Amino acid sequence: MKRLLVALTYLFLYVPIVVLIVFSFNSKSFPAPWDSFTFHWYHELFHSKDLWVAFSNSLVIALTSTFISLTMSVLLIFFRASGGKVGKFLALYYGNLIIPETVLAVGLLGYFTMLNIPLGMPTLIAAHTVLGLGFVIPVLYSRYVSLDPRLVEASLDLGASPLQTFFKITLPLLRPSMIATGLLIFIISFDDFILSYFCAGSNIQTLSLYLLAVIRSGLSPVVNALSAVLFLFSCGLVMLFFSPKIRSRIF
Amino acid sequence: MKKHIPFAIGSPALIWQVLFFYLPLVILIFSSFLGGERTTGWGHFTLDNFKPLLKPSYLGIMFSSLILAISTATICLCIAYPLAYFIAFSAKRFKTLLLFLLVVPFWTNFLLHVSAWFFVLERGGFLNNLLLNLGLIKEPIHLLNSWFAVALMMIYYYLPFMVLPIYSALERFDKRLVEASLDLGANFRQTFLGVILPLTMPAVTVGLFLVFIPAFGEFIIPEVMGGDKFFFVGNVVTQYILGETTVALGAAFTLLSCLFLLASCSGLYYGLKLFKKLLIRRYT
Repeated sequence: MKRLLVALTYLFLYVPIVVLIVFSFNSKSFPAPWDSFTFHWYHELFHSKDLWVAFSNSLVIALTSTFISLTMSVLLIFFRASGGKVGKFLALYYGNLIIPETVLAVGLLGYFTMLNIPLGMPTLIAAHTVLGLGFVIPVLYSRYVSLDPRLVEASLDLGASPLQTFFKITLPLLRPSMIATGLLIFIISFDDFILSYFCAGSNIQTLSLYLLAVIRSGLSPVVNALSAVLFLFSCGLVMLFFSPKIRSRIF
Repeated sequence: MKKHIPFAIGSPALIWQVLFFYLPLVILIFSSFLGGERTTGWGHFTLDNFKPLLKPSYLGIMFSSLILAISTATICLCIAYPLAYFIAFSAKRFKTLLLFLLVVPFWTNFLLHVSAWFFVLERGGFLNNLLLNLGLIKEPIHLLNSWFAVALMMIYYYLPFMVLPIYSALERFDKRLVEASLDLGANFRQTFLGVILPLTMPAVTVGLFLVFIPAFGEFIIPEVMGGDKFFFVGNVVTQYILGETTVALGAAFTLLSCLFLLASCSGLYYGLKLFKKLLIRRYT
């Protein structure tokens, strides 16, 4: 009985995705029932120019904002490690949890318009970086605080400079959580829809906006193929996130 | 370390947060009080933007958002708690697999799920075909553009947000407490309501807020699955803010709904606190 309910929940979660992926191999287009197996839609997918532009935009935005938020967080930790006080500033980042993303997006849109900043890639990166900071800073800070202070003291006692200690002791200890949160905010930015919807303007398209445009104009098997590819991509990232063994082999 | 390094090195993260998070919100609040021609200057202080919003129809939209968010959160909790319980306590060797399968949708593009359900629910879609072939229905039924489709999609999308915090609390839960309670003669119902639920209440609260807050502002699920038939706060905000002449009105509406959300969040928070207290009093 218990198992049946759990199985039903997982069916609920996975039937749509499996159906979507199975029909990406169907030779007839959407309303038609199953006809025969084909790779045609994948072929079309890899030749769709708009899609690849959107994909690379999303990739550039996600990578850049992940990089910026990680760098700024490390700088903040460095400042803390050198004796600065940041404890009270951390409360600034709790706001990201309470304010719905829609409200932040609306606020940013008004802000950029008021300052006459043209919407586009830079505004998107700025917005996504804020989103990332809200995750990275609390996680990295609490990890830093839980580090054993004797390691740093030992390093200083043995004659390393504070700078050397930071780069040779503190940073390597923080690396696992940096990689994990980095992956998390990468995928959050890559999949983000709400901020992109408001802050992208009319001349740039991200993957989410492209998907929305396609859904609005009616489904095509190419979207099914794209979904299958994205789904595999996510599976890979989740494995990377959850398996330290795989992670340590790559990084 | 003795040498003091300048604050400037640590500051970019703080400056960024103020510049792109707090300043926009402050300006949003200000602009909802500004009137006059926006193109010619700064305008003047006014409450005019709020006047049209005090009509019952706008209040109704906020309430329907509230109902949507609360019902999504409640149904998600009802599915998520038993599921998390099963994974944490009785899944054994399937634990990792079940967790993995739960996290993957969480990490895939949200619009991908929307398109998947669109595909399943459409008039000529998978579900209708299945039911037709099984002979359960004679005509394809309209599944899209309904409350049902909106609610289904909301629950589907927000479920992992609820399961994951509850799971991690149950995973860390000291199982000896359950044994002790059972040994001392409590039945399972008493143990669950008196021991397990009160101790995992913080996680339930986190899960409820993780679902409730974004669900309140949700605008794309109602639009795509509800076919523009249902209006929630997110839809109104989107239309007004992206409109040419209604930006100030949109800002005012955003501010009002934020206050409304804040009030309902604190209501929810204290309600949950009270519930926990009552549980403990009842079972100890």
